[in-house]
Amino acid sequence: MEFIKKNKAFCLFALLALLIILGAVFAPVLTGGVSPTDAVLRDALQAPSAKHICGTDKLGRDVFARVIYGARTSLTATFAVVAIIFALGSVLGVLAGYFGGWVDTIIMRVADMMVSFPGMVFAIAIAGILGASVKNAVIAVALVSWTKYARLARSLVLKIRNRDFVSAAIVTGSKTPYILTKYMLPNVIPTLVITAATDIGGMMLELAGLSFLGFGAKAPTPEWGLMLNEGRQFISNAPWMMFYPGLAIFVVVVVFNLLGDALRDVLDPRNE
Amino acid sequence: MKNCKKLIALLLSAALAAGVMTGCGSADTGSTPTTRPAAENREGEVNQQAFEAEHAVATDRTLTFGIQEYSIGVDPAQEVNTAWNCSRYGIGECLFRFDNSMNVMPWLCDSYTVSDDHTEWVFHIRDGVQFSDGCPCNAAAVKASIERLFRDSVGGSSKPKTFLAEESVLTVDDAANTLTIVTPEPVVDLTKNLCHPVMIVLDVAHTTDYVAAPIGTGPYAAKKFTEHVGMTVVRNEHYWKGEVPYASIELLYMGDASAKAMALQAGQVDLVENITNIADLDNLRNDPNFTVTIAPGIRTGICHMNVSEGKLLSNATLRHAIFKAIDRDTMCSVTVGGLYTAGFSVLPSNLDYGYDNLTNPDPYDPEEAMRILDEAGIVDTNGDGIRELDGKEIMLKYVTYPNRCLDTFAEAVQQQLTAVGIGVDLIISDGAGQWDSYQSGDFDINSSNWNTAATGDPCEYMNAWWGDCEADYCGYNNPEYNELFAKLQTTYDDAQRKDIIQRLQQILIDDAAAFPLGYYNSSMISNNAAIGGAAINTADYYWVTTDIYPAA
Repeated sequence: MEFIKKNKAFCLFALLALLIILGAVFAPVLTGGVSPTDAVLRDALQAPSAKHICGTDKLGRDVFARVIYGARTSLTATFAVVAIIFALGSVLGVLAGYFGGWVDTIIMRVADMMVSFPGMVFAIAIAGILGASVKNAVIAVALVSWTKYARLARSLVLKIRNRDFVSAAIVTGSKTPYILTKYMLPNVIPTLVITAATDIGGMMLELAGLSFLGFGAKAPTPEWGLMLNEGRQFISNAPWMMFYPGLAIFVVVVVFNLLGDALRDVLDPRNE
Repeated sequence: MKNCKKLIALLLSAALAAGVMTGCGSADTGSTPTTRPAAENREGEVNQQAFEAEHAVATDRTLTFGIQEYSIGVDPAQEVNTAWNCSRYGIGECLFRFDNSMNVMPWLCDSYTVSDDHTEWVFHIRDGVQFSDGCPCNAAAVKASIERLFRDSVGGSSKPKTFLAEESVLTVDDAANTLTIVTPEPVVDLTKNLCHPVMIVLDVAHTTDYVAAPIGTGPYAAKKFTEHVGMTVVRNEHYWKGEVPYASIELLYMGDASAKAMALQAGQVDLVENITNIADLDNLRNDPNFTVTIAPGIRTGICHMNVSEGKLLSNATLRHAIFKAIDRDTMCSVTVGGLYTAGFSVLPSNLDYGYDNLTNPDPYDPEEAMRILDEAGIVDTNGDGIRELDGKEIMLKYVTYPNRCLDTFAEAVQQQLTAVGIGVDLIISDGAGQWDSYQSGDFDINSSNWNTAATGDPCEYMNAWWGDCEADYCGYNNPEYNELFAKLQTTYDDAQRKDIIQRLQQILIDDAAAFPLGYYNSSMISNNAAIGGAAINTADYYWVTTDIYPAA
C-alpha cells in the first residue's frame, strides 16, 4: 500500500500495461469468437457498425478482431526483441568491460560497426536478405539494437572493475563466474532494466515500421504495421482501416513509454 | 538600306528553307504535306466532331498526363516496354494498327497483298506520310527502320524476330512506294505482327537519340525527356492524319496510383491512366467533374499452376478443388472493385474465341471442393486445419507481385483456399522476382497479368501450355493440346483457327491447368473541365491520340 501511494504513476501505467497484455492473452474472449482471418469477401470495406464495431477491411475481415489479435503479434515480437537485446547486450557488455584487452576490442569494434549504419536502414537490409516474416524482423531489429546495451553494460562494469571490493573478491579467491554474477551483473541490471522498459515503445514502432514496409509480418497475419500498410490505399474511403491499428500502436507505445519513465523514477535512487 | 535588310532577310529565309528541304534528301522535293482530315479510319466520329468544334480555341494548349513509367526511354529496339512507350506517347506508329475489336486496320500502310503460300507480302506505304522532321516516310524509310531494329535490338527484350523472321528479305520499289517482305517460313498474318509497337517505323536517317528523341510519324514529337520525371512531346506539324489538338503534352511519371488520383483531383494533371486503386477509382467515378472510362482489354490476370511431376498441383483433384473453392465473381466485382471482369477461361471473354461456347465443370462451390478433397482422401489428419496430400502438408507456394491488384487477388485466394483446408504460403515479390520464380519453376502458383494477344493472336500466350515448347514452365503436357497447338501453327483459315483456339481453351479448363483470376479492364480518367475524348483502347498501345482534345 505504501508502495502504491509513493509510486502512483508507476502503478497506473503498470495496470494499463497489464490490461493490454491481458487483452492480448484473452483476445478470443474480447472479440466474441470472431476470427481475425475469417474473410467474407462480399462484406469488404464496411464502415463501423454494430456488427463490426471497427468496420471491415478490403477482404471483409473484422478490423476490431484484427486489432485485438494484432496485440499478440506485436507484443510477442516486441518482448522478444527486448529480451534478446537485453540478454545479448548485457552479457557481451559485461564480458568486454570485465576482461578488457582483446575480448573488449573484438566485441566493441563489432558494436562500433553496427552503430555506424543508420539503424532502420540496416534492419531493412537484414530483413530484406532474410525474407519477410515476424521472426526475421525480430532478428533484424535485435541485430541493430544490442549495441546500446553492450556499451552501457561495459561502461557500468568499467566503473566498478577496479574498485577495492572487486580486488578483494579476487584476492580472496572468488572464481571469475562468481564475480561476474555476484558483483558485476547486479550493478549493471537496474540501469539496463530501465533502458529496456523505455525501449519497448521504440522497438514496437520499429517492428511495425518493418511490417509496414513489407519486411515484417506477412499476410494474412494480423499485425498493426501490416494493417496500416493495407489500409494506406483506402485512407480516403475507409479510414477506419488505418485509424484503429494506428490508434492501437499509439496507445500501446505511449503506455509502455510512460511505464518505462515511471520505472526509472522508482528504481533511480536519486529520487529518494 | 531598309530594302537591303529586307533582301538579306529574304535570302536568309530562302537559305534556311533550302537547308530544311535538303536535310531529307532529294526524295522530299516532290512531296506535299498532308493535312487533310482522315475520315476513313477515325474511330468515334463524335470525338472528331467535338474536336472540330473545340479546336479553334485549342491551338496552343498544353495537356498534362500522369502516367506510370514502365521503362526508361522510348526506343522500340530496346525493350518491349520502351516500344510501348513510343506508341503510347503518340511518337511512333506502325504500318498497321488494332481497332477496339483487335481487328487490323491499315495505318502507315494503306494496302497490301500476300501470296497464296503466305511468304511474300507486298505493302504499299501511304502516300504523303511524313516523319515529324518533315522527311518522307516512304518504303525505303520503312525498310531502313526495320533493318535498324534488328541491328540495335541485340540483347534487349524487344526481340523483333518474334514478329518478323530475321532472315526475311526486304525489297523496296521506290516508284510504286511498296515494300516487299519475303519470309523464310509462311506467316499466318504478318499484318498483326506489324501492329506491335516493336515494329514502329522511325526516321533512322535523322534520329540521333533513340532513347529520348526518336523521330516518328505519330501526332506528337519527342522534345524533352528526363528519366523518372517525365517527357514532353510537341505537336507534329507534319502529321499525316489531320490536325493535332495540343501544342504540347507533358507526360509526368507517377508510380503510385493514389498519387496519380490526388494529382488529378488537385488539378495538377488533366488526365491519368490506369488507377489500380479501387478506393481512388470509386471516388473519381462518383465525382461529376471527372470522366472514368474503363475498357475490357486483352489482359488476363492468371495463376499459372505448376503441374510438374512431384509438385503438389500435379494432383488433378486438388486443382479442381481450387477452382471450386474460389469465388471469382465476388473477387472481381467487390475485392478489386470491377477492375477485372470474371471469367473461367485463360482468354478474355471479349475476344472472339468462342468464350460463350465453353463449359465450366468447376463453378464456385466451396462445399463441393471440400467434398471432392475428402473423397480423394486428401484430409486433415493432424488437426491443424490444413489438409495433407501423400502425408505432406499442402502448403502452396504462391508467388506474385503488386501490379494491377494481383497482390489483393492473392490475399483473397489465400483466404478462400485456407477456408477449405488448402494452405498458401504467399510471397509478394517484385516483377523480376515473380518472373524468375516462373522461369525457374520454383512455385506452385505463379500469378501475373498477361497480354493475351499482343499481336492480335493468342498463339504466343497459349504457348505456355504446349508440352513441346521450352517455355512450358508449368510442366503441363496434354497430347491433344500439343497436337492441336502444332496444327494451329499451319492453319491460315480464320474460322478454323478460332475453332482450334476454342478447343484449346476447353482442354485447359477441363484439366484445371491454369486459374484465371479475371480479365483486366484498363482505365483512363480525365478532368472534364480540361479535356474531352480521352478513352482507353482495347489494345493498350495507344494512349496519346488525336482523339483527346481540349475542353472549351
